Amino acid sequence: MDRPSPRLRVGLAQIDSRLGDLEHNVERHLRWIGEAREKAVELLLFPELSLTGYRLLHLTPRVAIHPRSSPLIARLSEAAGPMSVVVGLVEEDDHGVLYNSALLLHRGEIAHIHHKCYLPTYGIFQEGRFFGEGQRLGLASLDGTPLGLLICEDLWHAEVARRLARGGAKILAVISASPGRIGAGERPTSQDDWEVLTRSAALMNTSWVLYCNRVGWEEGSFYTGGSHIVRPGGEVLVRAPYLDEHLLVADLDLRDADRLRWRLPLLRAERTDLEGP
Amino acid sequence: MISTGAMIQGQEEVRQRLVLHAPLAVQILTGFIRDAIDTTGTAGIVLGMSGGVDSALAAALAVRGLGPERVQALVLPYRSSSADSLADAQAVAATLGIETRTIDISPMVDAYFESETDADPVRRGNMMARQRMAVLFDQAKKRRALVLGTSNKTEILLGYSTIFGDNASSINPLGDLYKQQIWQLSRHLGLPERVVAKQPSADLWPGQTDEGDLGFDYATADEVLFLLFDEGCTPEEVVERGYPEEVVRRITELERENRFKRRLMLIARLSGSAVNLDREIPRD
Repeated sequence: MDRPSPRLRVGLAQIDSRLGDLEHNVERHLRWIGEAREKAVELLLFPELSLTGYRLLHLTPRVAIHPRSSPLIARLSEAAGPMSVVVGLVEEDDHGVLYNSALLLHRGEIAHIHHKCYLPTYGIFQEGRFFGEGQRLGLASLDGTPLGLLICEDLWHAEVARRLARGGAKILAVISASPGRIGAGERPTSQDDWEVLTRSAALMNTSWVLYCNRVGWEEGSFYTGGSHIVRPGGEVLVRAPYLDEHLLVADLDLRDADRLRWRLPLLRAERTDLEGP
Repeated sequence: MISTGAMIQGQEEVRQRLVLHAPLAVQILTGFIRDAIDTTGTAGIVLGMSGGVDSALAAALAVRGLGPERVQALVLPYRSSSADSLADAQAVAATLGIETRTIDISPMVDAYFESETDADPVRRGNMMARQRMAVLFDQAKKRRALVLGTSNKTEILLGYSTIFGDNASSINPLGDLYKQQIWQLSRHLGLPERVVAKQPSADLWPGQTDEGDLGFDYATADEVLFLLFDEGCTPEEVVERGYPEEVVRRITELERENRFKRRLMLIARLSGSAVNLDREIPRD
């Protein structure tokens, strides 16, 4: 029977990026891609806007690229070889609209692009001033395994992950550039919020959740790191340290999502016909 | 001075929410200083040490982040500065294992006021703060270093500072810490208790204290500011909890009147591409 392999080795590259410096960041990606390949990673994630840095403000158009004709993307794609890689970048479309995008490179091709659908524009966040909103959801495929891509705030709106899971995703890959906050606990409070979200998404959607967050500083604000992988059902399988760069590697058994769905058939039971508000 | 004797609703919860995980806060703030030095390619930091707890904590964070050899502490007394302050600055430096250099600002300040004989203590105090700033930035230039700021969140929000004086810096690790969080981290880092426990003072004239100038104590100010600024409560809601109306009114006024000190460079916009308004370019 022709089935995708049930095992997948994933890597989360919890890196720092230099704000507005594409060349420097590409070099940095190439180093981490090399390290991940040495560890036989099959799917490697980089954080949100990993090629450009996050807090770009009016630098945003200066680092925008057309991925399909970009020599930088071609270099990354070539270095990735057989490994699938997700990178974050500012994408410019043919109408001059800029998107906060996640790009899946798979066997030398751009296999999927996700435009961030929810652009936080409150508090410290200003994305709505500079980016266009993504208008559609889609599933990527890793040799037959459906994969849903989300960018940071997308996970704070439950229907995005829900729709991707109902559409067939067994892995929800979330790339993030989440500014940290702390309180009295030994774990950053921002991390507590994220783990509530990633663990609920893994439980309610009976899916694997990969969360890749960046580290480093931009304009006085730090990024927490704390990237982690959540098993279908909500148990944190592995977690990277806070604040430091790290390559987190783990092997997923993709059948785990199926086995959970047999005994916890939440997706099968989903109702879209309820009347009322 | 108005203090809060009566029961205040939810006060314990507010106090708890102002507590930080000290080791994590220290790790992050030392990382902030290190990152700023790395990204700017500078050699280290200079800071003014007053003998007070804010500059003591800033120095301690810098030493942990960079090592003592990359931290230049300057003691910048005016002739009326209290001897205790200078001794405290030395005690902190000894605890941290750093050398200090003392530069007396009296001749620089006095030269100006020779022809401004009508200046009141506030003008004189402001001039001292700005003279210290001028010396710090010059020393930073000399050493290819950054000036480390020492203003805390309480004084920033109250505007209890001299614009382009003590509020001027290249980077400030303390600006998001309320005063009681400064005390908490200072004790965690083992700074001399004498320095942590003493009555805060700008030491611009003999006998001056912060709480005397402000008319309320820091603990109350921190709680009221937390409710107003962090939580978004209205002044009326803060008073309803039991905080003294007079104190809440004064804090609200100070916060509003001193906003100009937090937004430097007010530029008249003509072009549609004005610096910082239409073109907000990050500094990192």
